[in-house]
Amino acid sequence: MQSTIEGAPAFAYINVDLEPGETVIAESDAMSSMAADLDMVAKFNGGFFGGLAKAFLGGESLFVNHFTNNTSSTRRVSLVQGTPGNTRQIDLNGNTFCLQPGAYIASTPGVNLGVKWAGFKSWFAKEGLFKLTVSGQGSVWYGAYGGLLEKEVDGEYIVDTSHLVAYEPQMQLKIQLAGGLFSSLAGGEGFVTRIEGKGKIIIQTRSLSGLADWLNPRLW
Amino acid sequence: MQIEITHQPGNSAARVSLQAGETITAEGGAMIAMSGHIQVETTTHKRDKGSIMGALKRLVTGESLFLNHFTSNGGDGEVIFGTALTGDMMQFQMGSGPALMVQAGSYVASAPSVDMDMSWQGFGKALFSGESMFWIKLTGTGPVIINSFGAIYPIQVNGEYIVDTGHIVAFEESLNFEITKAGKSWMSSFLGGEGMVCKFIGQGTVWCQSHNAGSFGSALGPTLKPH
Amino acid sequence: MQITINRNGENHGPYPLEQVREMLANGSMQPNDLAHYEGAADWVPLHQVPGVTGDVSPPVLESTAPTPTATQESFTPTGEHEHEFRVECKPDFAYLTVQIPANQTLKVEASAMATMSTNMVMKTKMKGGLSRFLGGENLFINEFTAQGGPGEIGIAPGSPGDLEHYHLDGTKEILLQSSAYVGSSMGVEVDSKWQGFKGFFSGEGLFLLRCTGRGDLWFNTYGAIIEIPVDGNYVVDTGHVVAFTGGLQYGVESVGGLKSLFLSGEGLVCRFSGQGKVWIQTRHPTAFAQWTFPFRPTKNN
Repeated sequence: MQSTIEGAPAFAYINVDLEPGETVIAESDAMSSMAADLDMVAKFNGGFFGGLAKAFLGGESLFVNHFTNNTSSTRRVSLVQGTPGNTRQIDLNGNTFCLQPGAYIASTPGVNLGVKWAGFKSWFAKEGLFKLTVSGQGSVWYGAYGGLLEKEVDGEYIVDTSHLVAYEPQMQLKIQLAGGLFSSLAGGEGFVTRIEGKGKIIIQTRSLSGLADWLNPRLW
Repeated sequence: MQIEITHQPGNSAARVSLQAGETITAEGGAMIAMSGHIQVETTTHKRDKGSIMGALKRLVTGESLFLNHFTSNGGDGEVIFGTALTGDMMQFQMGSGPALMVQAGSYVASAPSVDMDMSWQGFGKALFSGESMFWIKLTGTGPVIINSFGAIYPIQVNGEYIVDTGHIVAFEESLNFEITKAGKSWMSSFLGGEGMVCKFIGQGTVWCQSHNAGSFGSALGPTLKPH
Repeated sequence: MQITINRNGENHGPYPLEQVREMLANGSMQPNDLAHYEGAADWVPLHQVPGVTGDVSPPVLESTAPTPTATQESFTPTGEHEHEFRVECKPDFAYLTVQIPANQTLKVEASAMATMSTNMVMKTKMKGGLSRFLGGENLFINEFTAQGGPGEIGIAPGSPGDLEHYHLDGTKEILLQSSAYVGSSMGVEVDSKWQGFKGFFSGEGLFLLRCTGRGDLWFNTYGAIIEIPVDGNYVVDTGHVVAFTGGLQYGVESVGGLKSLFLSGEGLVCRFSGQGKVWIQTRHPTAFAQWTFPFRPTKNN
């Protein structure tokens, strides 16, 4: 399997070239174009309760699509996320990575998708109670609205909750108010995420809620 | 005229340099900025040609009803065009090749020597495609500017290829297309979220856009103020 | 993209990008020559101009090549500036990171903070007057102070697009469309009460901000930024005007006569005359707002 990310960073999309017999798994509606003789089968996302948990709590759809090459030569499928923005690939070799709900786009069959309880502390942040975890062997593609920036944290750092895309599992997340009570509400920041530990985090340089805040005064 | 497309693929704009006396035609609302001495004429139809029928057809196609003709009088001038949504732009030179079928809403501007014709595929194909139902057929010679939501990438079809309907920007008339199910079964097609897709058959080029405006709208919509 | 080179105080060009690359390759230009390219706020060494080194191949005519994968563009200031900062993910989702020395304060548009070091303390203040409130803008501005040590803040505007820096040195004046304000140093005065009678009726709000004083000013755009030097006469659709220098005369008019006002879709335009600079954005916020209409939830009665 060969893959490249094109159109980055504004409109990143993934070209996956599948060898005969290979499969790639993608979230619902991620396919933008594909060779006509590739087989596409929708599958329930990992067992009944697992699927439901992921859907309602992880922000992913109940179904994923399996694209399989049952021909005798290489075939291409182009995959994309719903919003404009950047996309990244991460290769897992037995390790785990944590993703915000909705950031998952596609993966290879050896990767397991799981849901991790983020705790009550997340409730107020509107980001949902759960985080998606990916683990196992293989590649995962994820993305977000906006550009993606990587930051090494050593100690502690504060991130606006709607701008955090992914982080290494050893990082500790806590929710706190952005400023004093008045500032937090009037200043528009509300609750923020405090990240502690040593590791990598990925932030997105725009958010849909930020876009909505900018648009809403213009809507009648 | 010279056309330069800047800021691809995210927020593309087209800078058109006109020589004295040259004209470029664009859909209503596409102009961002222009030199002070450019004259604008608004018509319901192509300059010199067409009729109110042409205008009505265009309304149905999703293009704004009126076209603006920008002419540089008394010297060279510049017009800069943009679109409502973020996205890519492409310039295409019409010449001796097949006619170009462009998705309604993707047309931005063209030289007066390019002919625009509204043709539709017949309700059978159009109804299921889920796209705005009409295509614009471009013939003649000269430059054309097209926009897209997402990055534009071409696919050379030699046989068959499938494109999700929300991702088609333009294709050469030499290709045939049919609307079909995406997956191996109807269940897969709907559960997998792909629904109906477009299968291109034959030889020719299809220009695709990486992203789907409908998916973005559905993601953003619920976060907005209700109306 | 056009690039102007300055050597020994003299401007050469502008040259198109391809020609500059050739001239660099054959040695008739040097990587350290000062260059100014479209959309840049300041002059930079030629090797920092995006696309001059490395691969750029814009699709031309019938393109058979796939769209080039652009690396994330970033910008660090070389011209005059007060704070150290960098802008990344230009030009589509530009993101500003500012370094703040110990115990100093930065003003930032409310809700624009995306990341910050933990010693940053946030205070919210009301902006000047009700005028911004009537424009539908957020009434508040946040002041971030680096307490007890230097700090860092990452700022993300709400709209997708580019971000520009302008340094005010006490003599200059910038008129800024009110929703484009991102942040400024404490020494910059932002006057939101002044509008004049030539407010724009384009739906972008009637409000312009007048920025004077000394320090850094950052503003963002919906879409990409095109910087246009005006020398004479230039016309811009009002929804696309972001900022302009104080010396320009401007007036609002309709395109091509009354018929065009409603039919052409262009609405109102702003005609600039004199000498100065206008920053325009390549996208129109009102057009985007209209596009979202069918996706919005409906009110339930």
